[in-house]
Amino acid sequence: MKVLKVPARTIAVFVLPCLLLYVCLVFAPILVSFYTGLLQWDGITTAKFAGFANFKDMFLHDPVFWPSVKRTLLYAVASMVEIPFCLLMAILLNRYVRKGNTLVSIYFTPVILSVVIIGQLWKTIYDPVSMGGMLNGVLIFLGLDSWTHNWITEPKIAMFALYAVSLWQYFGYHLLIQYTGVQNIPDELYEAAKIDGADGFKADRYITFPLIIPIFKISIVLAFIGSLQAFDLVMVMTAGGPAHATDVISTHMYNSSFLSFKYGYGSAIASFLVILCLVFTAGINTIFNKLEKKFS
Amino acid sequence: MRNVKHKRPKRPYKDGKRLSEKYKNNVFRETYTFLYFKKGFVYLLFAIPVVTQLYPLLWLMLYSLKTNEEILGGSFFSFPKVFQWHNYSEAYKSGSYLKYLSNSVMVTGITMVFVILLSSMVAYAISRFRWRYGNLVMTIFLMGMMIPMQATLLPLMIIFKNMHILNTHMSLILPYVAFSTPIAVFILSGFMKSIPHEIEESAFIDGASVYRIFRAIILPVSVPPVMTVCILTFINIWNEYILAATFISSEKLKTLPFGVYTFVSQYSVNYGNIGAFLVMGALPVILIYFFLSNQITKGMVAGAVKG
Amino acid sequence: MVSKKMKATSTIALSAALVLSMAACGNSNNESKGATESKGNTATNAPDAGTPKTENGKKVTITFQNIYPDPATPAYKMLHELVDQYEKENPNIHIELDTLNTDQQKVKLKTQAASKEVPDITIVNPAAQMKPFVDAKLFAPLNDMLDQNGLKDTYQSGLLDYYSFDGNVYALPDGNNIEVVYYNKELFEQAGIKDTPKTFDELLQDVKTLKAKGITPIAIGEKDSWTGSFLFMNILLRTNGGPGFLQDVLDGKKTFEDPAFVEAVDRFQDLVQAGAFPDGATSIDANAGGNIFKSGKAAMWVIGSWETGAIDASSVAGKTGAFQFPSVNGKGDPNEFMLAPGSAFAISANSEHLQETKDFLNFFTLNYPKKQFELKNAVGIGQKVDGDLKAAGYSDLAINVSGLFNQVKGGDLAFDNTMNPATAQVHLSSIQNLFVQKVDSAQVAKEHQTAFEANK
Repeated sequence: MKVLKVPARTIAVFVLPCLLLYVCLVFAPILVSFYTGLLQWDGITTAKFAGFANFKDMFLHDPVFWPSVKRTLLYAVASMVEIPFCLLMAILLNRYVRKGNTLVSIYFTPVILSVVIIGQLWKTIYDPVSMGGMLNGVLIFLGLDSWTHNWITEPKIAMFALYAVSLWQYFGYHLLIQYTGVQNIPDELYEAAKIDGADGFKADRYITFPLIIPIFKISIVLAFIGSLQAFDLVMVMTAGGPAHATDVISTHMYNSSFLSFKYGYGSAIASFLVILCLVFTAGINTIFNKLEKKFS
Repeated sequence: MRNVKHKRPKRPYKDGKRLSEKYKNNVFRETYTFLYFKKGFVYLLFAIPVVTQLYPLLWLMLYSLKTNEEILGGSFFSFPKVFQWHNYSEAYKSGSYLKYLSNSVMVTGITMVFVILLSSMVAYAISRFRWRYGNLVMTIFLMGMMIPMQATLLPLMIIFKNMHILNTHMSLILPYVAFSTPIAVFILSGFMKSIPHEIEESAFIDGASVYRIFRAIILPVSVPPVMTVCILTFINIWNEYILAATFISSEKLKTLPFGVYTFVSQYSVNYGNIGAFLVMGALPVILIYFFLSNQITKGMVAGAVKG
Repeated sequence: MVSKKMKATSTIALSAALVLSMAACGNSNNESKGATESKGNTATNAPDAGTPKTENGKKVTITFQNIYPDPATPAYKMLHELVDQYEKENPNIHIELDTLNTDQQKVKLKTQAASKEVPDITIVNPAAQMKPFVDAKLFAPLNDMLDQNGLKDTYQSGLLDYYSFDGNVYALPDGNNIEVVYYNKELFEQAGIKDTPKTFDELLQDVKTLKAKGITPIAIGEKDSWTGSFLFMNILLRTNGGPGFLQDVLDGKKTFEDPAFVEAVDRFQDLVQAGAFPDGATSIDANAGGNIFKSGKAAMWVIGSWETGAIDASSVAGKTGAFQFPSVNGKGDPNEFMLAPGSAFAISANSEHLQETKDFLNFFTLNYPKKQFELKNAVGIGQKVDGDLKAAGYSDLAINVSGLFNQVKGGDLAFDNTMNPATAQVHLSSIQNLFVQKVDSAQVAKEHQTAFEANK
């Protein structure tokens, strides 16, 4: 409910400083990228206007592009899959632990560490056994020798190994969001439901789930956008290799722009990424609006 | 066991003690064991992530105190035979730690002040003012979350060159603020929507200006989500190195994540030194996080649930 | 006021003349001293009367982007000692070191180049890799500066050609290396290998023997994909029967589907299949890959001779030797090497202090060989240096490697120094792929040819 009717000047004072800064430094550069995406340009010498040639190459001829899109979308799906589990954990936490905050804070720690540390750690976990990799060591200890792999260098599994790291790192993040959401639901609602005979998971069905939907949406959107942009982790752990087996859209963009000296082409990929984000976020919004209506 | 389900206590929520007292004299001992079994299972569910999520910190600490041979030897759970504290003094000496640290503190500090001030103003305008373009502005900000920072590297370079602020801390603070505002506006406006508007109305009737209401009423009650914004912004900026490496050239202006990244990628003499530098680099963020962590849970989605 | 200004101008003119005459003497040290002295005499507010800016007594800052971040290496010490010395002799000059690691520097320079903000001194790779920058006129020609103090004659003949375009030299190399095979004598002995391999089949046999003993045969860090390419190109140099394959492709005389290329891919795959490389090689960075050898865990390391100093400073010092890459299927001359003209120092064409920067780089490159020699890092430097390695206390390895230098009959440049960046990237990831799966070699060849034609 918006209450205040204020003069335009006041609105300007409140909004413009931030909006201008943001538009100039975030919005304008990406618009520039939409334009440079139309150029044949190495980023250094004079550019040549090429129309949609970059986009045509990207969609039709680039053997790396579509696989990287597929991996990116899988990344997004993988990160969203853990959110229901986080919600379940949040509900249990709220129910069984009096001071859940401390636990949630602990779960959150991987989020605050820099990717450099996370990358180092997981590389030593995934290392082949000859280099002391923990995961393979444990598998051999359990007698599962045939399960051992070079986790981040075998093209077929490398990407999944990276998904796993992200799931692990952001587990605490989503749990935190869900947990605070669950905590914010007033106790009276449950008391009332108890009188009506609804309780435990039945109460969750009628109280927790409908009320948590907006929070759930936040989590989904953040997970989605985060994974579409997944960059640092891939760069630190595999740099997109071996042979593009772990390239995602953002690393492919970066490598094209800065290593292959195809800046125009890299910009075209960036434009595609932004549009992809927009489309999917809009999609998620619509789905959730319907859900909210259905539940309430 | 089958008949247990409907005999379950009505609401075993939160209060474990009450629960067990209540059932001490219960004749259905099966219910009792089942409950314990279930509770045990749930606690195990809570305990596993504690191990897995805290492990990296422990690993890093041990790593930083080992010798090269112990690290390369690769046994994963081992403690160092002798704690190599000198790794820390060496990393400290060779890594310009204090200089990088103070630069990082300054850049991050200024950025956070601006992020909080600017984004709470926008959030206030979006959530409380009656004006036509509120939703549009919100959408524009939300779109910003989707823009990958790496794609803006080159355009930003050109902008900053023309502003003549390359190789100054401004060239980091400005983009950091700009890239942090979308999520900040998102969280803050969600909260501000939920503030009961009676408070505001009465102040308005008493003749307080919008600015005064914002400063004296809105900001003080928004402390929890502001804390959340603080931590999220802090984590992102504290660990950012691509812009830092690109826009800053002077050794005396470089920031800690840049230092950490460079230090790590050298890989040369002593792995323990690298570990020590990583610990020192992560220390501020860990301290701040645990200092504020109770606040963050309060503010994360405050207001997004309407009870 | 007027007279004061006049006075200042004349002082400047005088000191400028002093500098010029000193420079004419051809002694760099004197020149810097001349500049130093003049600084004290001049007034602070000098007009720009065509005199070099050094003379106005203002503090001049020169940004020196470099890739020597590791305090443990001789290169780091060399850089800092020379810079300190120059700053001491020229108190008005401040050299700002922007020290980055290699991949950071590549991206940063690229970004800077797009906005024409290249630092006063930066680092580029030779030939094809620096061409886009030269085409965009970002670098200043260094011909005049090379003539000062006889700098030009210190470089090995022909070396500067890799950094020259249209008769102008645009960068000065920090070295001129060849690719050799370093090996750990102790580990060879342990595996019962008597002699270094002379043919590729012997090499394969040795790889298998080492592998059977549980020793990693060849160290590599293939996350940085140039390392694998560098080794592969050595095989190609042999199967092609001599240098010039890539040049022939560029000239349209051959294609990547040539039998020599396909054979090289096959033989490279033999090496991979024999288990020559460490497990998970594609996730190991170049430095970490080198450390496998330097910590005595791998028997061989196929890399540029620039690593000689670093190996001597590591735990395998004294246990190592080097040999040339063997012939492949009876083809190729072992005395033809992969040539690696070094990364090179270039000066920004838009530098605000062009003259001062040139003066500094002149000093730096003149004293570079001597300093490297002192720091026991003179193997593979691209400049002539007086002094006997043995007498100076260099290791057997260093003498071994410099012996190989004397046998060089010719060779090829690395792939990314010959082909344009877009083609090079396809090549690099194509070779990286060979590390993780068996691929039809004709397919690899085709992939190369397609990329080459698409990015011509």
